[in-house]
Amino acid sequence: MKPAERERLDADVLIVGAGPAGLACALRLAQLIHANREAAATAGLSAENIYVLEKAREIGAHQLSGAILDPRALRELLPEFERTAVAGVSDTPVREDAVYFLTEKRAWKFPITPPPLRNHGNYVVSLNRLAKWLAERVEQAGINLFTQFAGAELIWENEGIAGVITEDKGVDKNGRPKANYTPGYELRARVTVLAEGPRGSLTKTLVRRYGLDGLNPQVYGLGIKELWEVPAGRISPGFVAHTMGWPLGTRIYGGGWIYGLQQNRISLGLVVALEYPDPQFDPHEAFQKFKTHPLVRRLLEGGTLVRYGAKTLPYGGWYSMPRPYVDGGLIIGDSASLLNAQRLKGIHTGMKSGMLAAETIFEALCAGDTSAKALSAFQKKIEQSWIRQELWPVRNFHQAFHGGLWSGLLHSALQMLTGGRGLRDPWRTRPGHEAYQRLDGRGSPPPRFKGDGRLTFDRLTDVYHSGTRHEEDQPCHLIVADPNICVTRCTTEYGNPCEYFCPAAVYEMTEERGERRLKINASNCVHCKTCDIMDPYEIITWVPPEGGGGPNYEGM
Amino acid sequence: MKIAVCVKQVPAKDAPLHIAPDGTWIRETDISFEMNEPDSYALEEALRLKEKHGGEVVAISLGPERAKQTLKEALAKGADRAIHIADEEFYRLDPLAAAQALARALEPERCDLVLTGLQSDDHGFGQTGVLLAELLGLPHATIIMSIEVQDGSLRLKRELEAGWFQWIELPLPALLTIQSGINKVRYATLKGIMAAKKKEIRTIPRTELLPSLAPTQKLERIYVPEKTKKTEFLQGPPKEVAAKLLEKLKHEARVLGSS
Repeated sequence: MKPAERERLDADVLIVGAGPAGLACALRLAQLIHANREAAATAGLSAENIYVLEKAREIGAHQLSGAILDPRALRELLPEFERTAVAGVSDTPVREDAVYFLTEKRAWKFPITPPPLRNHGNYVVSLNRLAKWLAERVEQAGINLFTQFAGAELIWENEGIAGVITEDKGVDKNGRPKANYTPGYELRARVTVLAEGPRGSLTKTLVRRYGLDGLNPQVYGLGIKELWEVPAGRISPGFVAHTMGWPLGTRIYGGGWIYGLQQNRISLGLVVALEYPDPQFDPHEAFQKFKTHPLVRRLLEGGTLVRYGAKTLPYGGWYSMPRPYVDGGLIIGDSASLLNAQRLKGIHTGMKSGMLAAETIFEALCAGDTSAKALSAFQKKIEQSWIRQELWPVRNFHQAFHGGLWSGLLHSALQMLTGGRGLRDPWRTRPGHEAYQRLDGRGSPPPRFKGDGRLTFDRLTDVYHSGTRHEEDQPCHLIVADPNICVTRCTTEYGNPCEYFCPAAVYEMTEERGERRLKINASNCVHCKTCDIMDPYEIITWVPPEGGGGPNYEGM
Repeated sequence: MKIAVCVKQVPAKDAPLHIAPDGTWIRETDISFEMNEPDSYALEEALRLKEKHGGEVVAISLGPERAKQTLKEALAKGADRAIHIADEEFYRLDPLAAAQALARALEPERCDLVLTGLQSDDHGFGQTGVLLAELLGLPHATIIMSIEVQDGSLRLKRELEAGWFQWIELPLPALLTIQSGINKVRYATLKGIMAAKKKEIRTIPRTELLPSLAPTQKLERIYVPEKTKKTEFLQGPPKEVAAKLLEKLKHEARVLGSS
């Protein structure tokens, strides 16, 4: 596509991603423009000239979390929220906390809930609904929200960015234009905000191009969730439990969650750190096993699966935070590593970062300077805000668990006593895929998990419940730089981990006429980004498919 | 040429459906909705006719508040204005009542052409379009695969069974029900989405158009298909069994042609 053929639009601010961070950024900008009309008018700013792009079919469709909301940021953004809108946003206030250590058959309840996992005053929410609720307010404020449009490429300018090119629509699987071919737009903006969530495809290229990585590389967890409807009386709304141990054991970092919702629904899931040694470990299978634990089974039996989803989350914390500003650009939310791994929460910090970004942008636009130097005020604002107060004391938290659960609990206790310093500070990490151990001729691959079809499911059944849909006739959005590696080195060295780590059965090694080949079922993709993170040779690149494709996490 | 397109909002294809407690409709919480697919082809056809022959495209939808989203999509793709017949209990309407409400809203518009999808993806009655034609006093044709406008009349290609087509002519004004796949549906553009915000959506409560309902049909119950599995053993000499099997495949299973 020649640049000349693209239609060009110019915005004041362009936000890529309508999750909680991106939407909070948009809404705060609208509030600032409204409250400072004269300054905004002098700078030529208007809400109509703020664009938000979202790749999903509709707002919220790609939003997945447990989720427990610490309402701190939302309260600052919309002080009336608890008075007027709790019902629209929250499913139920948290009423009871519990933490369990599981073995295969038994569950030990911690006598006291560790303080970071105490959730009094928080709400169990559907992130999907929260995003919709925020988006309504963003639209009412006059901001342009565009669903079914993804940022495909960055427009480079100076030492930074000047906007994005949206994805071309109506291209067939061989890359040729179809009858309804619509080239992507050249969307230029004075400030571009990347709010793509974990492992954003644009954020990744930006961070690499300018070497913005923090002290540590980013490390991730993969969260797999199911929403269930169960017979009445199984769980009370607002009951919140977190588990450690089985089926992950004490060597793999992660754990389960069980949240009681209104109307006999249960949100449950398992988060697994993407830095495990066995390349044929299957996180989806581990989650299915989790449901067979007596503690979980007795809640679910006789119920039905309503929805399924999977999404990565950034565990790295403060030391993995990339430099979040360049000329004309900011990085916010999960893309900026602002999740608190100790409290398992990132919605509030993500929203807060969006609000601080909005304040930075408003000042920069009013001053007519959107250079990296001017936008570096964003980092200062983060450092002066409660985001740092929350993230700095847990800067080594996730790293502490490299030696397993027990030493991790010990280290994290020491960290709590020393303001986060512990015995090693900064505690360095390596990318998660480097944790893989080679197979070294280990025997045949483990048999695949099938599920009983009632309590446990295979991956295809689960993917069906994710509502995932893509235009079938389009180029594959999972780009494998060298598929030869898959059938040669990867098969012998690691046994093709893509077949195991993907929670949506996208990757499949097939044999055709004696020839081994990688088959990519891209239409199954739930946009979790695990493949981009966990392939051992870093040859898989996730790029956004045609806008509107992907899962539908309605009510999740 | 003034063209009206009837678009319905239906549950998205991927939506896991649960039946509402009263058993006559689905539970609408936590499912998403989209434009009825056959209607999206009708809309595309209307937009193409307008681009070719000039005129105006008016999108009309009967449904609850959320149906406005589907009208916005039609406006974003290029419809000029929209009419929303508001009815929160739209699912209680039978096809005749729906057609009556649509007819009353469309009468004053005096359209040259009214397009609808062949049927809806939810109720699938396939009647609203033809009933609407009758109520508006318009000639109609169904399962349209191609439309040519020539000197105030239409040359139309209809789809018949088994790969057969029929060409017919119809005077204008007329109503056509459009078959899916007649065209390649366009994408909404950024500019179109922004322009749609300034276009008119006129809301008329259904009760204003049709104060009372006299249902001619009633939905008794909707349910998930019950799984039935039947095994039958055919006994006798192979030749007889083969003949019986052939009979059954032709007339019971209907997987073989009976000619």
